[in-house]
Amino acid sequence: MILTILLLLIAGSAPAQDPLTAELDQVARTATAMVDGDVARGIQTKRSIEMMLEKNPRDHWAAADNYDVDHDAYVATKKTLIRLSKLCTSACDVNLWLPVTGKPDRVHVVIRNVNEISQFWRWGDLDQPMPPEMKAVLESGRRQTVRQRGTMISVLAPVYDSLGDIVGLVEVAASTNPNPQENVQ
Amino acid sequence: MIFKRFPLLFLLFLLGQANAADLTVLPAYVRADPFGQIVEADRSARVQPAARIELTSARDAYASCRLLVTSPQPVSYSLKVSGPLETSLYREWFHYLPRSKRYYPDALVPTPANVRAELPAADNRIASQTAQSYWLDIWIPATVRPGAYTVDAVLESGGVKSTLPVRIQVLDAAVPAEDPILIDHNSYGTGWLLTQYPELVNRTKDFYLSDAFFGLIHAYHRVFYEHRGIYHQLGYGHGGKTGPEFAPRLEGTGKSKHVADWTLFDKHYAPLFDGSAFAGTHRGAKPIPFVYLPVNPEWPASFLWWGQPGYEREFVNVMREMEAHFREKRWFQTKFELFFNHKKRYKGFDWDGDETRFLHDLPHFVEYQRLMKLAFPEDSPVKWVYRTDASWQMERQFKLQAGVINMWVVGDGMFRWYAENAPVLKGRGDIVWTYGGTPRVDESSSHITRDLLEPWMLGVDGFVRWQTVSPGPDPWFKFSGGGETLVYPGGRFGVDAPLASARLKLQRNAMQDLALLDAYKTSATLPAIRAEVAKRYNGTSPSEWRRPRPALADTDPLTWDNVTIGEAVPDDPRFSSGLDAAAWERVSTYVKTLAKERRP
Repeated sequence: MILTILLLLIAGSAPAQDPLTAELDQVARTATAMVDGDVARGIQTKRSIEMMLEKNPRDHWAAADNYDVDHDAYVATKKTLIRLSKLCTSACDVNLWLPVTGKPDRVHVVIRNVNEISQFWRWGDLDQPMPPEMKAVLESGRRQTVRQRGTMISVLAPVYDSLGDIVGLVEVAASTNPNPQENVQ
Repeated sequence: MIFKRFPLLFLLFLLGQANAADLTVLPAYVRADPFGQIVEADRSARVQPAARIELTSARDAYASCRLLVTSPQPVSYSLKVSGPLETSLYREWFHYLPRSKRYYPDALVPTPANVRAELPAADNRIASQTAQSYWLDIWIPATVRPGAYTVDAVLESGGVKSTLPVRIQVLDAAVPAEDPILIDHNSYGTGWLLTQYPELVNRTKDFYLSDAFFGLIHAYHRVFYEHRGIYHQLGYGHGGKTGPEFAPRLEGTGKSKHVADWTLFDKHYAPLFDGSAFAGTHRGAKPIPFVYLPVNPEWPASFLWWGQPGYEREFVNVMREMEAHFREKRWFQTKFELFFNHKKRYKGFDWDGDETRFLHDLPHFVEYQRLMKLAFPEDSPVKWVYRTDASWQMERQFKLQAGVINMWVVGDGMFRWYAENAPVLKGRGDIVWTYGGTPRVDESSSHITRDLLEPWMLGVDGFVRWQTVSPGPDPWFKFSGGGETLVYPGGRFGVDAPLASARLKLQRNAMQDLALLDAYKTSATLPAIRAEVAKRYNGTSPSEWRRPRPALADTDPLTWDNVTIGEAVPDDPRFSSGLDAAAWERVSTYVKTLAKERRP
């Protein structure tokens, strides 16, 4: 009886993670240490941010058509994300998400990677409503594991700037049943 | 028994059975609906079903028409087509469009030359259906003697036979094998096969490694090839993921990165590059003229090394292996396209490879040209081309990327502003295609021909339909209109291959005419031929196929949006809603008149 109670306590205090989730969590934890929030915030150009915020009432596509990035900031951050993904023993992506400047209820993916795995990315949307899981990470700084779409597992982890503020998050994502033909389009 | 008490009623019943079905014919460019009426979009042609038809055709070509079986009451019938020429008969599927609450025929279901059927057709689920149309293709081989031929269509219903003669006047002229322009049908990856061919996938072990899978890919190429088109499949995603059937498997990193396995790549491409995938077709076994390379910013070199020595080493080593492999296989007749499809809005990379919006992205193109030149010897018999698809900045790109890009795929509407660039680009040896969409089924039947006539009028090399294999979630009963497809999955009818559409066949027939027409430019001046064609097609002149350069063109494209572009030059209905269904038929008649008068 005592042994059973002890086992239940252990299970309750630290939910058992499958090996893939545990690995994604480790990568996410590392990402928090490695991704530079100041650089990440400099990726989207000022003009592009303005176009995204203003919205063109006549042209639904105007913000997307004018989406632009600073090459150096983008490349430096993407390389970090690729390096992080190499810590996974099977295919995973590390995506960078940032809140939309001036619109805390919205978020946008800033960098995606080769497998295009994400539980949150809505194809073609330049920005989108802030999912509650992301909001929780941005507010608490605690990692969150999400399993809400198909066979995908994502671990969300905060990204900090040099002042110690949380400025964004990474989504470390993988699938338990990867499909080689998926996202080849 | 009611008939014993009312013998007159019995007689009327028998008469009704005997006369239950009628057989009439329509020219190929006029469609009927399932109630025997001409579809709204084609009424402008002012054609009604007739008891006979006379077709004129050059040799080495198809002649086509539509047979229409009608009956006011449910009936069983047989339809038999026979004659001295090879024929193919297809039942036309009537697609319901919820948007307009109307039916349009488009998918063509192959049927035997002697078909037994019911009206209404149970599978089409139109309870009040009173008409069934069939597309009839007649193949006129190059070897047939010029003269008059007759193919008989015989309808038998209720014990009564009726014969409808399809007369074909075969001309001495033959349609050239080569087309003056290429009509390209684009698609993306192969993931969509899962949803379009569920039965085939379920009964095939390891589908994506199977012969059935590669056979299906080749069937797509074949259906477009047989209809005088070409087919492109992009083999990578916006993040750079390559499908295993589109790129050889790589191993290693940095200087050790190399091709580890060609198996799936060769299974996919060898029959396309040596032409064997097209054996047995009327056009013969020829290699495909163009193909996308799998190259993108993440393949073959990892983006991790971009701007570092490892990127160049990985890229050049693998591409050298590709060149050597292609050379060893003697794949010399296909042009391998270096093409970037990614857009920065999809967040995979930091520059626009497709429809480049910002000029500061252009140096990336130069770098990849440098890398390709390091990989491919200048005198290699393996031919690669550098393709870009351009819109916003196309005119500036024509100048800034001269000597870098040599294959331009340009938005057709905007290119008409800049059409004076066509001879400049052609003069320096570049390939120029325009691109756009595909007319929906509820547009007049001639719309499909505008997209092949336009590049010919502008003096460029081809037209790309950007998506041609996506019929939507329910093309059979809730059809979205077919603006992204010209073929349909055949599984519903027990065919593990794409079915051609009537629009694809109309396009093919127009391509035949255009090939023949182009052959006469040596014996009549091209401007005169173009003038006659434009006049007959839509009452225009060749200069009107270009659009006047708008003031907008001389402003910074970064200030444009889609609305200002649309407003820059008002829509000319003669090229859109005003096109009547007989537009191409008038051109076709002109071509055949030339063919009767002259030999190419």
